[in-house]
Amino acid sequence: TSSVLSKDRDKSAASKDSTPEGAAKRQEDAAETPKQQLLDIIGSMKVEVSYRKKLQQLKASENKKQAQDKLEGPDSEGSVPRGITEDTQGGRPLNPELVKAASAVASSLPRNKKQTESELLAQLRRHEETTDQQRKGGTVNLRNVISEMTVKRRSPAQWAARKSGRISLQLDEDGQRMRPERSSAQSMDSRSLKVGKRLNIFTKASTEPEHALKTESSPTIWDLEFAKEVAAVTAQPPRNGFEEMIQWTKEGILWEFPIDNEVGMEDDAEFHEHIFLEKHLEGFPKEGPIRHFMELVICGLSKNPYLSVKQKVDHIEWFQKYFEEKKELLQEI
Amino acid sequence: MAAAALCWALRAARQVLPSSCPRQVRSYHVDWRMLRDVKRRKMAYEYADERLRINAIRKNSILPKELQEAADKEIAALPRDSCPVRIRNRCVLTSRPRGVKRRWRLSRIVFRHFADHAQMSGVQRAMW
Repeated sequence: TSSVLSKDRDKSAASKDSTPEGAAKRQEDAAETPKQQLLDIIGSMKVEVSYRKKLQQLKASENKKQAQDKLEGPDSEGSVPRGITEDTQGGRPLNPELVKAASAVASSLPRNKKQTESELLAQLRRHEETTDQQRKGGTVNLRNVISEMTVKRRSPAQWAARKSGRISLQLDEDGQRMRPERSSAQSMDSRSLKVGKRLNIFTKASTEPEHALKTESSPTIWDLEFAKEVAAVTAQPPRNGFEEMIQWTKEGILWEFPIDNEVGMEDDAEFHEHIFLEKHLEGFPKEGPIRHFMELVICGLSKNPYLSVKQKVDHIEWFQKYFEEKKELLQEI
Repeated sequence: MAAAALCWALRAARQVLPSSCPRQVRSYHVDWRMLRDVKRRKMAYEYADERLRINAIRKNSILPKELQEAADKEIAALPRDSCPVRIRNRCVLTSRPRGVKRRWRLSRIVFRHFADHAQMSGVQRAMW
């Protein structure tokens, strides 16, 4: 078999096929250690198979070349030999059935048939390459494979990240909005930094719209009772101090940390709405004791930090109503 | 998942309850005087704003006297139990009207009882 292998090496010098090289290595190993005769046999068997296929294809290519020189046949005939020549150019013999299937698919598609066929065959070749590498135990460069592929496919981690990022408001540590980056900066592993629900330990929790939307108007009494029952049954006594504190926080006995001084106070008004209340005095007469009285009231209200803007406005409006009711009495004076 | 559903159900329950028919609430007050005191406190809370405003009209020297007299009549027309003066700080546990320490809302006897059994945090028998 050594003479045959040497011929093979001469013929496939240009090709980057790994099996004859591997076979050559195996042959050298077998020559070195006589204990590996079984492996040698297996290796030689493999070599024979590939060599046979290669001879066939070489013969076929020679025949086709002769045919091309003699005749320039129609496209259907030309596409098949071209496909085979492309196979041999690749260096790794592809399954002829696959090649035929690729050509059939390409012919069925409306676009440029030759281009699609070449692309499909290139993909097949790449599949074979990856399987070979996996057999050898070499590292699979997934990134290269994915970048080379024309069909755009994103890894499941990225897809999950995109899905979660679409709904939730992604806030950076500064609190500014940040688009979910899908560039190569993000790691391709299943775990990445910006994927997943934020814990909101350091930033204030943003109001996330709930994923589950129930179309029921209101739950029935039975549902409520059932919910209470389940809660009572599943509620285990706290195993340690932490769980006890968690329970207290839920009940409202313990405050939430870090302590928010404005819990319960939801005053969205600015300071100028608290202090400059003269605009509410439009319903009153411009002169007279009532105006004097109301200005004093407003002065007092502007210094009051405990009332909300709504409460202050209600205060002034009550006085307005009261004085309107007493108009007749006032006019007598 | 189940916990989230439960939380949602309970939250919805809290919203549903006020709209439903008035439920019977059973509460325990030590005696009827305590109950009346509770009612007075509720009413005082309801009428507090009005009383404040009418008193603001009454107790100033700018507005004419006729207006102030009218305000006097109005405030007298309000229900009797709405004035805060009628509230008595009773003991929370025994409803004792006298001898009640404001900080603990307890009468002196109850306070002494708990302090001696070491159930009052930070309270010690004085000795100097």
